[in-house]
Amino acid sequence: MKNGDMDMHVRGTSRFVDDIPAPEGCLHAVLFTSPVARGKILSLDISGAAAAPGVAAVYTHRDVPGLNQVGHVLKDQPLLAVDSVEYIGQPIALVVADTPRNARRAAQLISADIEKLEPVFDPREAAAKGLIHGARRVLVNGDPEAAFAKCKIVAQGRLSSGPQEHFYFETQRALAVPGEHDTIKVHASAQSPGAFHRHLAEVLGIPMHKVELDIRRLGGGFGGKESTAVWIVAPAMAAFILKRPVKLVLGRNEDIATTGKRHAYEYDYKLGLDAEGKILAYEIDLFQHAGACADISLAVLGRSFLHVSGSYNIPNIRISAVSCRTNIPPNNAFRGFGVPQGTFAIEAALNHAAELMGLEAEILKGGNLLREGDTLPYGVKLDSVNAVRCWQTLDKKVNISARRAAVVEYNNDHTDTKRGLSVVPVSFGISFAQMALNQASSLVNIYVDGSVSVSTGAVEMGQGVNTKIRVVAARTLGASVDRVRVDTTNTSRIPNASPTSASSGADLNGMATKFACEKLYERLRDFAAKQLGQADPAAIVIRDGIIYDGGKTAGLTWEKLVAAAQWARVDLSEHAFYATPNLHYDLKAERGRPFAYYSYAASLTEVLLDCVRGTYTIEAIDIVQDVGESLSPEVDLGQIHGAVVQGIGWATLEQLRYGADGKVLTGVSAYKVPDIKFVPKRFDVTLLKDSSNPYAVCNSKAIGEPPLVHGLGAYFAILEALRGVRRDKAAPSLPLTPEKAFMYLHAPAAGGTK
Amino acid sequence: MPSFILNQRVVSTDESPGLVLLEFIRGTACLSGTKEACREGECGACTVLVGARQADGSVAYKACASCLLPIGDVDGCHIVTVEGLIGEPLTLVQRLIVENSASQCGFCTPGIVLSLTGFCLGSPSLSYEEAINALDGNICRCTGYVSIRNAARALCEKLAGTTAVPSKRLDSLIFSGVVPEYFRAIPGQLSELRAAPASCGKDAVFVAGGTDLFVQKPEQLMESGLCFLSKRRDLDYVRVDDGRLLVGGAVTIEDFRNAAPVREHFPGLREDLLLHSSAILRNKATLAGNIVNASPIGDAAIILLALDASLVITAADGAKREVPLAKFYLGYKKTDLACGELVSEIVIPLLQAGARYHFEKVSNRATLDIAAVNSALRVTTGPDGAITGLILSAGGVGPTPLLVGGLEAFYGRKPDAVTADAIARAAEAAAKPIDDIRGSAVYKKLLTGQLVRAHFAAPAAAGGAV
Repeated sequence: MKNGDMDMHVRGTSRFVDDIPAPEGCLHAVLFTSPVARGKILSLDISGAAAAPGVAAVYTHRDVPGLNQVGHVLKDQPLLAVDSVEYIGQPIALVVADTPRNARRAAQLISADIEKLEPVFDPREAAAKGLIHGARRVLVNGDPEAAFAKCKIVAQGRLSSGPQEHFYFETQRALAVPGEHDTIKVHASAQSPGAFHRHLAEVLGIPMHKVELDIRRLGGGFGGKESTAVWIVAPAMAAFILKRPVKLVLGRNEDIATTGKRHAYEYDYKLGLDAEGKILAYEIDLFQHAGACADISLAVLGRSFLHVSGSYNIPNIRISAVSCRTNIPPNNAFRGFGVPQGTFAIEAALNHAAELMGLEAEILKGGNLLREGDTLPYGVKLDSVNAVRCWQTLDKKVNISARRAAVVEYNNDHTDTKRGLSVVPVSFGISFAQMALNQASSLVNIYVDGSVSVSTGAVEMGQGVNTKIRVVAARTLGASVDRVRVDTTNTSRIPNASPTSASSGADLNGMATKFACEKLYERLRDFAAKQLGQADPAAIVIRDGIIYDGGKTAGLTWEKLVAAAQWARVDLSEHAFYATPNLHYDLKAERGRPFAYYSYAASLTEVLLDCVRGTYTIEAIDIVQDVGESLSPEVDLGQIHGAVVQGIGWATLEQLRYGADGKVLTGVSAYKVPDIKFVPKRFDVTLLKDSSNPYAVCNSKAIGEPPLVHGLGAYFAILEALRGVRRDKAAPSLPLTPEKAFMYLHAPAAGGTK
Repeated sequence: MPSFILNQRVVSTDESPGLVLLEFIRGTACLSGTKEACREGECGACTVLVGARQADGSVAYKACASCLLPIGDVDGCHIVTVEGLIGEPLTLVQRLIVENSASQCGFCTPGIVLSLTGFCLGSPSLSYEEAINALDGNICRCTGYVSIRNAARALCEKLAGTTAVPSKRLDSLIFSGVVPEYFRAIPGQLSELRAAPASCGKDAVFVAGGTDLFVQKPEQLMESGLCFLSKRRDLDYVRVDDGRLLVGGAVTIEDFRNAAPVREHFPGLREDLLLHSSAILRNKATLAGNIVNASPIGDAAIILLALDASLVITAADGAKREVPLAKFYLGYKKTDLACGELVSEIVIPLLQAGARYHFEKVSNRATLDIAAVNSALRVTTGPDGAITGLILSAGGVGPTPLLVGGLEAFYGRKPDAVTADAIARAAEAAAKPIDDIRGSAVYKKLLTGQLVRAHFAAPAAAGGAV
C-alpha cells in the first residue's frame, strides 16, 4: 500500500506546524545566540530589544520558570546560557514580538559582552586534554595481540569522516498555545514525543499532565528532531509566561548554523589477515566529534561501537571509543545513528588490505562475510544470517566479476577518465541499543460507525510509519484499510513514548497496534458468533470488512457488527503495550544481546571519474536489501532510494566548512545535498526474496536506516578510481568532494612528485 | 498598488512592492500549500507559476521561486499556487506523483508539482530530459529522486504528441487534466487587469530579476522604491544586427538560452547556461542582472568576457554609452555603473570564421551550485591553423572576473597540447584566488590551469574548429 498522505501532499493540503492557522494574538519568538565558540558572559544588554517595536518580552535564563535545562541524557545543556557559552549558536536570550520580522530586528539589538576563551575544535585534541563526554568504552574479544603476531598482512592507518547536515525541509519549529489551569498545548516538529514532553514540563516547572504535545507530521526528521528540545521548549516557555500563543520557526541558515549534525569521526585502525585473506584481528579507536554537550552522542557512539565489525566475522578484536567534547553545537542523531561511521572504518581497512595484497576488495569482503553461527564481538551468536544470501543475490543480478572486468578494461583504455567500483555489504542491528526505549503502546478506538482511529507513539515524517500501522491495524482487525485512520501523535493519548528512530517506528508501534487489534478482534469475533448463533467462535472470520461464518459470508458487515456490539455494551477501545523481548546488555562486560535481529543488504556502486577536472558521476547502483516480508513494498522502496542518496551525499558532496572561530560558513547556498541530476542513472533495487523475520511485526524488517550505509560505496568507488591514477598519497577523507578528488590527483605529494 | 490574479481570484494589495510573493501567499493570502524551506531560491519548495501576458494575448507560464520574487514584479500576472491546481480529483501531474510514490514527507511536493506543471505549460520540448531540467531546482531530501524521475517519465509519455508550441498548448493540457478549466479565461481576465504604471522614482533600485538581490538584502528592499525591468518590454529582445548579437537588458537567462539566434550562433551556450542556475531561477534571473551583480564567479560574466561582449549603458536622462565588459569591473563588487544608470543592452560579437568558444565550470555539486572556478575561452585560428586571437576568462580567482592578460604571446602558435599547457600555466600565474567556502586557494589555482587544458582538449564546438 502506498503512503496515504500523498493525496494531500500533492494538493498542498497536508499540514505542517507553520501551516496551522495562527491563533488570534499569536506572537513570534526568535533566539539570540552566542557569536563566540567559548567564553564567559560578562554582561548582557537586552534593553534595546525590549524597547523595540512590537516586542512583547525578552527572556534570559533568569526568567525560566522551572529547570533551565534541555540536556537530553545528561543535564549539561541550559535552555538559555547562564554565565558561559560553549558554542556558536548557543541560545542566550529569547525575543518575543508581534511579527517574526520585529522579533528578528529586536534580537539584533541585543548586545553581549563575552570574554573569549580558547576553544577546542579537534576531537583528538579534546580527547588528549580529557575533554570527553561520559567514559571511554573498550571491548576486547579473543586475543588480538596474539592474532596480529600470526597475520601475514596488516593494514594500518588513520581516517576521518565528516559531519552531515540533516537538511530536513521543515526546519525546527513549534507553536505553543496556553490553556486553562496553567496547561499548555504544543504543536511541534519533533521525533521524541515522550522525552520532549518531559523537557517541556521540566522547563515550565509544571507536571507532565498539564502539557500536551501534539505531532501531526514532520517535513523530514532524519534524526535531527530527536534529542534537542531547544526550539520546542523556548516558544512554550514564552507562551506559558505571556499566556499568549507563541510560534518559533528557525530560518534555514539559522538551522544549519545552530543545530546538531551527524557526528564526524576520527579513526585509528589496524586490520590483520592471514595469507588467504581471512581476517584474524582488528583494532579500532573511534574519536567521536560530539560538540559542546553530550546530547545523544553517547548513544550514537555506542551504536558505532557495536557495528565496527560491519558485515564481517572478526574473531579477535579490540575496540575503543570516546566521545570528544568540542566547542561546536552538540551533534545528535542522524539516520544510521553511528552505524555508517562504524562501518566506514572496517570497509576502509579492508580496501587498504586488498590493495596491499593486490586483490580486488570484493574478493576479501566476500570471503569474510558473517555466516550462520558466527559470533559478534559482543558475544551474540548469530542465526538467520542473510549477509551471504544478499551478496549472492547481488552477484546473480549484476555478475560482480563481469562488472569488475569491464571496469578494468575501460581503465586500460582510458587515461582522462577512470571507472571505479565498490561492493558494500550491510549488517545493521535493529532495536534501540538503549534497552528502555524498546517499548511502545497503541490506543485503538473503534467508533460506532465502524471507523477506526489508531494512536501510537510513532511520528510520521515521510517514512510511511502511519501507512504501515494502518496496514497492521486493518489486517488484524479485519476491517477495510479505508476505515482506519492514524491520528496525531499526542502525549495525552500515548504517554511516555519512545522516539521514532532507530528504524524501529513500525516494529514497535506496529506490534503494539497488532496486540490492541488482536484483543478487539477476538472480542468482536466472539460477539459475532453470539449474534450468528455460532457456538464455535473460531468458525467466525472477519476479513476486509466482511464477516464469514464457517467460510461463508454471514450477511454481516463490519459496520453492522460494530454498531451492534456497541449497543450490546461491548468495549470497542483497546490499549496495548509492546516491549521487545529477550534484550539485554551488560555495559561493564560489554557483552549481551542488544538487538532483536539484523537487517542485511549488499550493493554495487560504479562511478566515473574525470581525471582532468577531479569531478565524478555516480553512474550506477544495484542493491539487494533484506526487508523481511514487507508491510508496504512501495514505502520500503522509497526508504531505500532516499537513504541511499542521503548516504551518497554524506560520502561525497555534503561538506560543512567552519571558520577558524568555529562558525559554520556553509549556509544553504554552499551546503549542497544531492539534486535530481546527481542521482545515478541506473538505480536498481531488489528486495530479498523468501526472507522472514519472527522478531518483528508481521515478519517484516526495519528499513529506515540500513540502506544509508550503501552510500559508502560511492566513496570507495571514487577512491578506487583515484588509486588507479596514483597511489603515492594517503586516501582522502570522507566526504570525498570534487575538491579532494582534484587535489589527490593534481597536487604534488608531500615530499615527492606526481 | 500591485494587482494580479492569484489562482482564480483578482488581488490588489497595498503591501510593499518589495514584499516577496512567498510571504504574501502564506501570510496575507493564507494559502499554506506553498512552503518556505530556504528563502534563497536553493530548494524549490516555494515554486509557483507566473503567467505573463504576451503580445499575442496568450499567457506564458514560468515556474519561479516565490521566495525571491517581489510582488511588484508580478503586477498584471497570473500566479498559480498548488491550491490553484484543482483536478478531478487530482491533476495529471499530481496523479502521477502519487502513482509513482514520488512524495514522502511532502514538504517539497507542492514545488515539484508546480515545476512539472510549468514544464508542461512552457517547455519548448516535452522530452524527459527537459522535464529533468525543469526539476533541477527542486531539492527533495526524502525520495532520492528515483520515484520523481519515474513520475516525470510517465508524464512525458502521457504528453507525447502534444504540440511543440507552448502558446498553443493550453487546450490540450486542459483536456489531459494538467491544468484546470479556468485557465482558459485567464488571458481575458488579465487583459482587464489595470496594471500599475511603471513608476520608477529617482532613487528606485533596478530589479533585473532580483534572484540575487533578494537573497542579499530582502529587508532593505521592502522599504526601497523598486523599478522592475521585467515591465520593460522594450528591453526584452535577442536579435542579430550587423554581425553582433544584441540582448536586451531585461532578457532572462532561460529566454536567452532558448532564443533562436543563440541556438544558431552560440549552440554551446544552451548547455552551458544550464549550469548557471536552476530552472526556477533562470526563469527570472537576467543576463544583464548577472553581469551587474559583479560576482567574481558569475557564470554570465565569465562567458561574456571571453566573447568580448560590451554593454550599452543608459543613463536616467536617456544618454547612452558603450563600455567593453573587460573594462566594466573596477573592484570587488564595484562596476563602472553610476547611480541611475542601467545596462540596457549587451552586445556580443558573433564568432568569426576560425573562432570557437568553450566554457568550463567546476563546482562542488555539478548543477545548481556556485563554481569553485569557471572559465571561458574564445580562440581564433587562421587558415594555417595558427592562433590569431585568444581571450581567456576565469572566475573565482580574484576580486573581479579575471581576463587573463598577455596572451598575444601565443599568437602564431598551434593550439596543441603544448600551447595549451603553456597557456594553462599563464592562467595559473594570473589567478589569485583565496581560501573560501568554494575551495582552497591552491585548489582553485591548479583547477584554473586544468580548465584551460580542458578548453583546448574539448571537441571543437560548432562555430569554428581549432
